[in-house]
Amino acid sequence: MRMSLTKTCWFAALSIALLALAFVLLGSGLDTDYVIPKRLVRLASIVIGGICVAVSAIVFQVLVNNRILTPSIMGYEAVYLLWQAMLLLLLGTHGLSMLGVHGNFLVSVLLMLTYSWALQWWLLRRGRNDVYVLLLLGLVLTMVIGTFTQFVQLRISPGEFAVFQGVSYTSFNRAKPQTLLYAAIAVAVACAVVRKTLAVLDVLALGREQAISLGVPHGRYLQLYLALIAILVALSTSLVGPTAFMGIFVANIVYALVPHARHRVMLPLGCVVAIAIFLAAQLLVEHVFNYKTTVSILVNLVCGVYFLALIVRKRGAA
Amino acid sequence: MRKRWLLVFAVLCVVSVLLGARQMVWSDVLSFSGDAWLTLTASRLPRLAALVLTGAGLSVCGVILQHIVRNKFVEPGTTGGLDAAKLGILVALTVMPAAGTLSRMLFALVFCLMASLLFIAVIRRIQFRNLVLVPVVGLMYGSVLTSIAEFYAYSHNILQSMQGWLLGDFSRVVQGHYEILYIIFPVVMLAYLYAHRFTVLGMGEDIATSLGLGYAATAIIGLVLVALTISATVIAVGAIPFVGLVVPQLVAMRCGENLRRTLPLVALGGASLLLACDIAGRLVMYPFEVPIGLTAGAVGGVMFLVLIVRGLR
Repeated sequence: MRMSLTKTCWFAALSIALLALAFVLLGSGLDTDYVIPKRLVRLASIVIGGICVAVSAIVFQVLVNNRILTPSIMGYEAVYLLWQAMLLLLLGTHGLSMLGVHGNFLVSVLLMLTYSWALQWWLLRRGRNDVYVLLLLGLVLTMVIGTFTQFVQLRISPGEFAVFQGVSYTSFNRAKPQTLLYAAIAVAVACAVVRKTLAVLDVLALGREQAISLGVPHGRYLQLYLALIAILVALSTSLVGPTAFMGIFVANIVYALVPHARHRVMLPLGCVVAIAIFLAAQLLVEHVFNYKTTVSILVNLVCGVYFLALIVRKRGAA
Repeated sequence: MRKRWLLVFAVLCVVSVLLGARQMVWSDVLSFSGDAWLTLTASRLPRLAALVLTGAGLSVCGVILQHIVRNKFVEPGTTGGLDAAKLGILVALTVMPAAGTLSRMLFALVFCLMASLLFIAVIRRIQFRNLVLVPVVGLMYGSVLTSIAEFYAYSHNILQSMQGWLLGDFSRVVQGHYEILYIIFPVVMLAYLYAHRFTVLGMGEDIATSLGLGYAATAIIGLVLVALTISATVIAVGAIPFVGLVVPQLVAMRCGENLRRTLPLVALGGASLLLACDIAGRLVMYPFEVPIGLTAGAVGGVMFLVLIVRGLR
């Protein structure tokens, strides 16, 4: 039996509130000077990261018109990490701090944009009809880019390597309040743009031909959304690190929960689901596994198994 | 054709022996003593042997798996075999830290074999129509196995060292640390002996059975051979992805799929590819080395991408 949609939404909102409360208060000793503010910062980066992951995954799935590909599978995060390693190699930690957070972010976004356009021109057009070829290409591409990143890692000095290590796994501790503020503004702008064009997104979900015949300038919106995705992925990777199969997990849970395909409901629910997963993983790491594991390992394990099950169950029917 | 390949292979071998941080002094070598002679016998020649054996073994593994699964995008790295072997070594290290190489290899062998059997059971039950789906499922399966291994390694505090020593690297190969690789030699010989059977196996279960081949038995022999090779290489030199996939495909594109004829070429090609990757890895940052897991991963991965994109057209 399916829960009614309003009930689902209430349930989701309630559970996320409870999780957030547990995350902030559990074992804090109500210490408002140090523990709670620190945790609020982490909560903020979880919220922003969750929104980025969910929105980028769902919008990307609309663009490529299938429910298995996500930006991280198509190598976006791998490119971001390669770029960070290259920056460290070329400029060093000193140069990186010269470039500043904003400069680095701006250049990263530009690079991701180039990557996504290249992907669009070179692959998505050609393999539009064959999801699995794209999926295989994405997986292998991610592995190859990862290999190049490792190669660059060999060249950089140990100190810079330590800096890079901090970037290359999922963690909610690295963001500083100031960076978070900028990230929040960027995400808010991106979400506002998506919100304004929600109707277009619904039409795009029907497919390219249908969208064009309904009067949507497909190419223009494609560029817009690709740009948004590039920004969101750059944000989430810089804030919480690579999330691998998280996006696909979130998107497919939302598809299972929502009976129709209106993005007005799907996107917010996706954000809630993503934040809830991050919170749950962080709580598990802190209180159940006692830091014997990390969020990224946990998320990879659960989402990887889910993804495998999804592919095997769906067979050729995607 | 064959002669040309042999020539390339021979040149690569010679270059591999001559190349290294220490200059070869020929007078020393010819007098069978001194520093250069030691370098040659304790480091260069073992390395050459290890490279040739690993390359040949991995690409023959790829061929056998491709015929069992009947999919040209399959190799130990895309069926979870490599990741399972890593997991096995990890378990061996934590369960009995004092164990020797042989018992560690036994663990890797058992894990690799179980994982391959499970993978093939799943693949067979689903009856895919789609050529590309099998490696996708295999890669996902491998990454799940890896994350289990990471979970395990992190809670035992050996994650960092695991990432280090499971990356394919021949710089550790010196006399006394690679001999386990010689097991690949009989494996390749056996594979050659069974080449006709594997060719028939590749025609599918029905045809193979009606031609009088014990399907399950042959498939299991093949899997055991693969697991033996993989566990030996992962123990001795670490994981090297994509070699088993690219070489057999390139050979099959030129010379067809009659294994009795093409298997020697596949083995030769695998050995040559690894030799070339190793030489490149030694030259890029001379006198330091880039692990072969990276060079072979990059070269093989790019070749794999090209093969997929060619398949798209």
